[in-house]
Amino acid sequence: MPVDPLLQGLVAGFAVEAQEVVQKVTMDLLELERDGMERDALSKLYVRLGRHLHTLKGSASSLGMQDLGDIAHKLEDALAPLKANPQKMPRPVVDILLHGLDLFMLRAQAHADGRGDALPDPAAALAQLVSEAPPPEEAAALGASGSLKMSVSAAQVAVESPAPSAAAEPGPMVPDVVPESADTGWRVSARQVTALMREVERLREVRLRFEERGRELDRVVTLLAKQGLLAETAEARSQLSGTSRSLRTDGEETGDIVEALEEGLKAITTRPVRTILDPLQRMVRDLSRQLGKEARLSVVGSELSLDRRLLEKLQGALVHLLRNAVDHGLELPVQRERAGKHHEGALTLRIEQQGNLLFLECADDGAGIDVERVKKVAESRGVVTSEETARLNENQVRDLIFRPGFSTRTDVTDTSGRGVGLDAVRASVEGLQGRIEVASTPGQGTRFMLTLPVDLGSSPVLVVRATETLVGLPMLAVEATQLARADSLRLGKRRAHLEYQGQLLPVVDLGARLGLRALAPPAEGQPLLIVQSGGKRVALAVDAVVGDRDLVIRPLPSEVRDVPAWQGAATLSRGELLLICRPDWLVTDTSQAQVVAQRRALVVDDSLTARALHRAMLEAGGFSVHLAASGARALDRLATDTYDVVICDLDMEEMDGVQLIAKLRERKETASLPVILVSAHDSAAARERGLAAGADGYLSKRECAAGRLLAEVLDVMSRRGNRA
Amino acid sequence: MKVTPRTMEDAQETEARELLERRASRLREQGETAVEEAVHWIAEFPLGEERYALSLETLRAALPLKMVTPVPLSAPHVVGVLRFQGQVLAALSLASLLGGHGWRQDPAVLLVVDRGDGELCALDCEAIPRPTTLPMSAVEAARVRAEGAVMEVFTQDRQLIHLIDLKRLFALRGTGGRHAR
Repeated sequence: MPVDPLLQGLVAGFAVEAQEVVQKVTMDLLELERDGMERDALSKLYVRLGRHLHTLKGSASSLGMQDLGDIAHKLEDALAPLKANPQKMPRPVVDILLHGLDLFMLRAQAHADGRGDALPDPAAALAQLVSEAPPPEEAAALGASGSLKMSVSAAQVAVESPAPSAAAEPGPMVPDVVPESADTGWRVSARQVTALMREVERLREVRLRFEERGRELDRVVTLLAKQGLLAETAEARSQLSGTSRSLRTDGEETGDIVEALEEGLKAITTRPVRTILDPLQRMVRDLSRQLGKEARLSVVGSELSLDRRLLEKLQGALVHLLRNAVDHGLELPVQRERAGKHHEGALTLRIEQQGNLLFLECADDGAGIDVERVKKVAESRGVVTSEETARLNENQVRDLIFRPGFSTRTDVTDTSGRGVGLDAVRASVEGLQGRIEVASTPGQGTRFMLTLPVDLGSSPVLVVRATETLVGLPMLAVEATQLARADSLRLGKRRAHLEYQGQLLPVVDLGARLGLRALAPPAEGQPLLIVQSGGKRVALAVDAVVGDRDLVIRPLPSEVRDVPAWQGAATLSRGELLLICRPDWLVTDTSQAQVVAQRRALVVDDSLTARALHRAMLEAGGFSVHLAASGARALDRLATDTYDVVICDLDMEEMDGVQLIAKLRERKETASLPVILVSAHDSAAARERGLAAGADGYLSKRECAAGRLLAEVLDVMSRRGNRA
Repeated sequence: MKVTPRTMEDAQETEARELLERRASRLREQGETAVEEAVHWIAEFPLGEERYALSLETLRAALPLKMVTPVPLSAPHVVGVLRFQGQVLAALSLASLLGGHGWRQDPAVLLVVDRGDGELCALDCEAIPRPTTLPMSAVEAARVRAEGAVMEVFTQDRQLIHLIDLKRLFALRGTGGRHAR
């Protein structure tokens, strides 16, 4: 039968809109099923539910889909007795209504796909739906006997009796429900949108450069003014000032365009997280019913909007985790009550975005992971050998649940037992360049924590300095900033604490934490940032607070992605990259870590790669290595830290190796510090010059390349030790 | 005999024509006497005391070694990160990756290469590499012999070149965190 394209477009639009309405009805039904609702709230929910069902009926009938109108009408009938006397909705009635909605949507989609004519008679489907509902006596045992009988019978009547024509009733106007035809939009590929995003990011960088150029011009104007306010330069100064102002205005306008583009892109490419979370409520409810359990899912952060592609990929992982939590985590209601818990299990999904990282936590208050059982099952399924399990700690044993082929189910059910699940979840999270971890306490529950990079939009970052390294901190994690004062610090043997709002917060020295210098207590007046993450707080000691910036944080390349200190990098105005520190890493307690006494070396070289190579060699030899890019920086380091040996480049700008040695020999503390000079010059004259300057050793880069550095360092230290 | 003095332009044109004819003749002789051998284009550079090379097809760009941000707590072979065409790339120490100890001179160049898995990274190098060729047969034979990421290939004049197979090199390595969780 030929189909009117206009009508088909309207039907397709109706299916999309109906999905949203059905989702709202589902959420209302799940709410009505819960205990403890006030009568007023119940009334409002029933009214809203009725309105939604009526909307579905009217819209479907207006478009000539009488079967859908009939289904919606029967659902309205089933609701009517309860609506008149609002009370908690019995589960079997909820089951019937939910199944009815499923039926409605299946048929709506078939109409949208042009398969409406081939659909079977809806009355038969509805009759089957009622027959699948639990018998009244079983439902009565659930505690709402009177209303239940009424509801079920109402539903049965609704199916058995012919439905009045929905068209006879006044329905809502079609334009209220049918959205814009799909033909009015564009279809674009993800690649095109991604390319556009990159261009917007480039434009953002251009805006930053605008700012930088403006500052440069201002500096030129200031310099000219310092030369004297000569009449000859008056016109040039005036023109420069004007250009600077125009540049600033242009920069601001560019900034506005970037923001507008970014907002537009966000609207196109993101959707609220609740669009994937709301359907999970239904899934949890149905599964717990099927397994004879009770569960309630709470969601925190569903208002967040995220990249559609990310959400689509996450949906499967979340379904797995929640099914796993209901099936393996939560106990049966009787067991829970025996353990002193509420009969209804609590599942929590928490979603939070910090900078370019998305934290997603799926927690249950069930029995927790039985480590011994995991070991036995992993061995019996051949996931690991008994020798391997003997070497694993508790965390490593828990990680076995992510291995392919692992399942504690001995039987295969619809829900689990096939050993496919958490390994697929891990694969999908890692496919998104994310990470999944599990924590569990016996008898109290299990938490799965997912960390995923998100790469859309900018976020506020606080830029700080530790030694000469600039570091970014997501502003959301910075609670406050203050200067260190002796009266608010408590200095212990191993670490300092800050008294803050009646609490003692551990002080973390950013420079030391990043391995840039030795640990030192905060100095008077040193900036301290109160950083919080996951409920933990620390006072972060930095050398300077540079300022706040709105930056696009990009994911790090694979070679450094797993370094837990860093969550991404952002481009600063001069084009250099700023590393963004992970707040959850900063607040991680390291006081338990064993402090191993290591020999300490300072590498001074203006070549980045030479510093990296020397560091690699010395660390391989058991040294703790700090780096300095110039002689002046090395002197700064040596003023506060102590080292066993210094490896110094001979040919550096500003202060060369010979000059640095001279400075070191002048100071009592460093007069006898072993220093090895390294140089590209391999001549005898260069070697003589270095040794005459007071170096303890001299190596050419060629000798370093041949692997002589470590041996020379040990030799020089030994000789110095013997002399001492 | 009457001699017509040649102008400067005439003389240059004649010389250029003779030069081109000599070259064409040489090329004709090569074509007649030698069977063209398949070659593998490489980018060759010194590393320590030896000569190393990368397949030219893996090379995307050569950049001056600047604007690299060091990454504290990263693996020893990581020099830092840098921006390249809108992406964040890792700059890696090639000497360290290959288990060497250093360069004869401080590297001044970064080679942006395709790791073989679609991702780009930058490798440090003393100087811009020299494009040259190796006989394809020698490369294939070396590939069969090699167990690791570096193949030993002899040039026609018996010079040893260590040809780096980036795909193997990065497949053999894990990720770069010193303190990875």
